[in-house]
Amino acid sequence: MTRTRTLLGAGAAALALIMTGCSGGGDADGPVELTFWHGYTEADGDVLEAIVEDFNASHEDITIATEVKTWASIDDTLLTALSAGEGPDIVAMPAERLPVYASRGAFASLDDFYEDEDSNTAHLVPGAVDMVEVEGEKYGVPAGFVPLAVYYNTSLFEDAGIEEFPQDWDQWVEAAEQLTVDENGDGTPEQYGAVIPDHETVANGLWPSLFYGNGGGIVEDGQAVIDSPQNAETLEFWRSAIVDDQISPTGVDGIGADELFGSGKAAMTVGGPWMASIATENGIDYAIAPIPAGPEAQAASAIGISMAASAEATDAEQEAAEEFFSFFLNEENSVEWSLGSGWPPLRSDIPAEDVASNPVVASLTEMAELGRPLLPGVVNSVDVLTAVDELTQRAVAGGDIDALLDEAQGKIQDALE
Amino acid sequence: MTAQHPPARRYRPPAPLGGRRGSRRGLGRRNLRAFAFLAPALVVLGLFVVWPMISALRLSFTDASGFGREEWVGLENYVTVFTDPDILNAVLNTVQYTLLFTPTAVLAALGLALLLNNPHLPFRSFFRTALFVPFVISFAVAAFAWSYLIDPQVGLLNYWLGGLGIRMGNVLQDPTLAMPAVAFVAVWKLFGFYFVIFLAGLQDIPASLYEAARVDGAGPWSRLRHVTLPLLSNTMAFVLIFAMIAALQAFDQIYVMTGGGPYGNTQTMVMEIYESGFRKLEVGFASALSYVLLIATLLLSIVQFLFFGRKEKDLS
Repeated sequence: MTRTRTLLGAGAAALALIMTGCSGGGDADGPVELTFWHGYTEADGDVLEAIVEDFNASHEDITIATEVKTWASIDDTLLTALSAGEGPDIVAMPAERLPVYASRGAFASLDDFYEDEDSNTAHLVPGAVDMVEVEGEKYGVPAGFVPLAVYYNTSLFEDAGIEEFPQDWDQWVEAAEQLTVDENGDGTPEQYGAVIPDHETVANGLWPSLFYGNGGGIVEDGQAVIDSPQNAETLEFWRSAIVDDQISPTGVDGIGADELFGSGKAAMTVGGPWMASIATENGIDYAIAPIPAGPEAQAASAIGISMAASAEATDAEQEAAEEFFSFFLNEENSVEWSLGSGWPPLRSDIPAEDVASNPVVASLTEMAELGRPLLPGVVNSVDVLTAVDELTQRAVAGGDIDALLDEAQGKIQDALE
Repeated sequence: MTAQHPPARRYRPPAPLGGRRGSRRGLGRRNLRAFAFLAPALVVLGLFVVWPMISALRLSFTDASGFGREEWVGLENYVTVFTDPDILNAVLNTVQYTLLFTPTAVLAALGLALLLNNPHLPFRSFFRTALFVPFVISFAVAAFAWSYLIDPQVGLLNYWLGGLGIRMGNVLQDPTLAMPAVAFVAVWKLFGFYFVIFLAGLQDIPASLYEAARVDGAGPWSRLRHVTLPLLSNTMAFVLIFAMIAALQAFDQIYVMTGGGPYGNTQTMVMEIYESGFRKLEVGFASALSYVLLIATLLLSIVQFLFFGRKEKDLS
């Protein structure tokens, strides 16, 4: 879902959307109408619609009209729509896309809103809030924040006689080797122990998670830190596991990984909460576990969705948008949203038993503290993520890791400046 | 005694692409009427083509992002276009794509047009229609269909070829095969259009010329070289220019199939424009890049016009 390439029709859709347009409006003291773009299309969409309806029912002077698009088309159409003054008043988007819009002045600053005690923002998960911050100012509220986790096929685990889910990288690779099956001995396994994409990974977070596990990183304090001996070790470790031990097919991207897991051809995948529904749809018995610990740390890059309010909005519209944000983040709705969407609660003060009725949420909530925001505050995340993709793809294909890291370091530093 | 051949109708080649010069009389009134007829089209063109072009030209000298106030930055964007290694990579990829696509598409279209121009071929109209069908399909749909066909895990094509012992591997993730693959999809999708144009051009060539050539003892190869190809040069110019422009603007299937990857190997100029404008919100820079592409396309088209224009002159 957070992948951007997938769904297209970009050009045509963009044009159509600009033509049909949509705008909020209303007089200063009359009723305020807001448009809200989001990309929640599954069960999560229904829950969000229900929350919006409740909001509309309880606020006589505000009406929010939602428009559902794919995440990719939100990204493709937002620029033209906003710059033509026809954009949404509230928009939800993949969190790593927010800084570029915010830094160009597309979104209203919410610093005052956060200071307001009634805004329900005091107990938000800190990592989620990091993702809406650009140059020290907050431009949005989180709508979702969940660490990547391993989704695994429990029947395949049983068949292979693995009883306990691996706790560290070595055990992880060992289990994956046991789960890799090449029945006809042609050198290409029919069943892979894991699927480790080497580019465009889920929410771009797989390799960052692995880098963190060995004490490495990508960007720290606005500086590129990718060229480190830790990252070189990480890349070599996983290249060897993927290529030499054949625990995963090569050249797969995040969508391909979802498909392989969904078709039962891979026993483990790293993904987001939607993997639960993919598994259920395909009749796969699954369980969720945290990404096993690396030599230095146990960590997982998080998938974030942020909501922001357009800077074009009038004061009344902005106030109404903030009213909605605090409504969305109140205790009752936080629980409802979490249970309905399958994402852990955004507030750290929601007791675990409140969300225990949804087993996916319960297990994801347990590992919430492993989640790290992806490239918080980095405006040019496009070039940084492209450089990481190029690095991992080439490294897995057998490129010279030191040279590749050096090159990636230069590109990422350029992108940050 | 010599048999008197009736004089062959003097062959007049079709008008060159620029048109023939007409009479100058009564031009004013006719122009006015012409403009009245053209007005609706001109208004649309002006609003949706000329105005955006002027506005993009202005933006290309600014640091516009689409929001807020833009600042004039002079030639900075253009300097970046010519110095950024990523752009150079995109230019080289576009050139490679053009070299793969244009000759393949044009030759395939020409070859099949020659074949299907033969009146004795069975199922001629079926083949003509069949070859045109891909052109009617949306590019995005074709691209999705092909990515599934050649998918290494679930692809039908891979499955069939696997049965024959041929392994294609993960074509779209292979740095050497990805570009030929996306170029192939464009050939498959577009050659039907060039094919129809060639077919029309072939049917414009009078049969008497072939008869004359045959009488002079020309074999099939000579007839192709000395009759068909020279008389097809206008059509050829049109098709080549269209194919080249299509190649320089490659985007749709690349966006769908590879997203510019693996590691930037299929990142073309238009992909770069899209990424700069819509992903990085560097609208000013994207405009400058568009203008560089526009001017390059224009120059290449002019070179081709001149080349074929001269051939035309040689012929008459």
